[in-house]
Amino acid sequence: MKKYSILILLIATCLQSCYDYPIDEDGLLITDRAECYVSNFELLGTDYQTVRTKNAVIDTVAQTIDVEVRWGTDLKKLWPQFSLVTDAKLEPKITSWTDFSNLSSPKRWVVISGNRKVRKEYTVNITVQQLNP
Amino acid sequence: MYIKYRTPIIILSLILIFISCESDEYKVPEANTAFRNDCIKRTLGPNVVGLDIEFAYAMALGYDRGKILSAEATASIPGEADTYLEHHSFHTNNSGNDIGVVIAEPSVTSGNTTRITFTKDTCAATLRYFYKIPESARGKSVSFTFSSTASTGESVSYEMGPYQIAKMDMKREIVLSNDNKCYFSIADMEIYNETEALSRADKIDLVYLYKSIPGITFNHALVSPNANAEFLQGKIIPSGINSSTLIQKTYGLRDRHLARLQFGEYVDDKDFETLNISDAPNYSIDLRAEYGIWVQTADNKYRAYIYVNSVNNNARTMTISIKRYLM
Repeated sequence: MKKYSILILLIATCLQSCYDYPIDEDGLLITDRAECYVSNFELLGTDYQTVRTKNAVIDTVAQTIDVEVRWGTDLKKLWPQFSLVTDAKLEPKITSWTDFSNLSSPKRWVVISGNRKVRKEYTVNITVQQLNP
Repeated sequence: MYIKYRTPIIILSLILIFISCESDEYKVPEANTAFRNDCIKRTLGPNVVGLDIEFAYAMALGYDRGKILSAEATASIPGEADTYLEHHSFHTNNSGNDIGVVIAEPSVTSGNTTRITFTKDTCAATLRYFYKIPESARGKSVSFTFSSTASTGESVSYEMGPYQIAKMDMKREIVLSNDNKCYFSIADMEIYNETEALSRADKIDLVYLYKSIPGITFNHALVSPNANAEFLQGKIIPSGINSSTLIQKTYGLRDRHLARLQFGEYVDDKDFETLNISDAPNYSIDLRAEYGIWVQTADNKYRAYIYVNSVNNNARTMTISIKRYLM
């Protein structure tokens, strides 16, 4: 009996260690999570300081992010930062400065859930603080 | 078995104990008494014209073999007039302070060579050499040969370098004033009032402004003369002064030459050569201490990094330091 127990334990260990966790094309773990939303948003200027006048308004139903930036902000060179729900990822990836100067054509990013089955497109709407509010 | 081998094991153990307890007699190592030298470069960062390159040159001879007679440093390009070899020898005390002891008359520089002749009977010294980088070395490399002679007839030498001298210029602690000297020329690295600026209108690249606007972070600003009127905040720029300078704001780049803070960060020639701010605006507002701006003149003749040393809201002034690179 003792001999069989050890054998079973060995087989179980082997099976466990050989279990292949799925990863996506970016080498990120694909999990069971289906949540798919942006939890926080930041926008940095060339000095890597925030250009927001107040917290961004994130509507996870309408899938919009509304941000007001300071008067005088150089909209051609901003670095957006998204905080996402656990295991989610963003597409396209943000690897350089982003040009937001065309305010009539808002930038869009897609959030993809941890199980990679849910995709939600978020629109980032930027407004500039007025000189005489 | 235990009984059978007990006696041999005990004997063997005792022998091992005796052998292992035998120690070699300690001998004090003999010092190398030959005349020797060594050198380190103490300054860090790019070598900018007008600044020093500092070395610590050490030489030593066996205690009872004689004394050091002279030491000299030879640069491949003669240094500025302030180049000198310390006539103090330094050692570091227990508190970490450098203590200087006079060992020679002040150094004498002739051409490329700076020399001291020892007046103290000493067999070891560490001398500081301060090479003031001359204009003639800009963009070139410079090497150094340190040498020393002893009463034994021995001489030693040590090669250092080559070190590249930066192409860029530097000027520190320029005070801009909203009410008077507010026109800044990168070509001259100088600040002018309106009358002075008019006589060199084509050289004015930036206008300094201070304005406190409720709800808006404007405060201290550096703006191109032909920036949008809203960024000039009512400032009337004399006609003829109309450059559009590209400006990119940055924070935390506390170049050690400009900021004179503890941070080991340096802006070097390479930064200007690779700088790409072609899509930058022609204004920068809300500048504060420890902020900086990368600048490119309208004719792309100069690129510069301007560091904000301090601002004063009451006096409406800003103190800046600049590194400038001729393209």
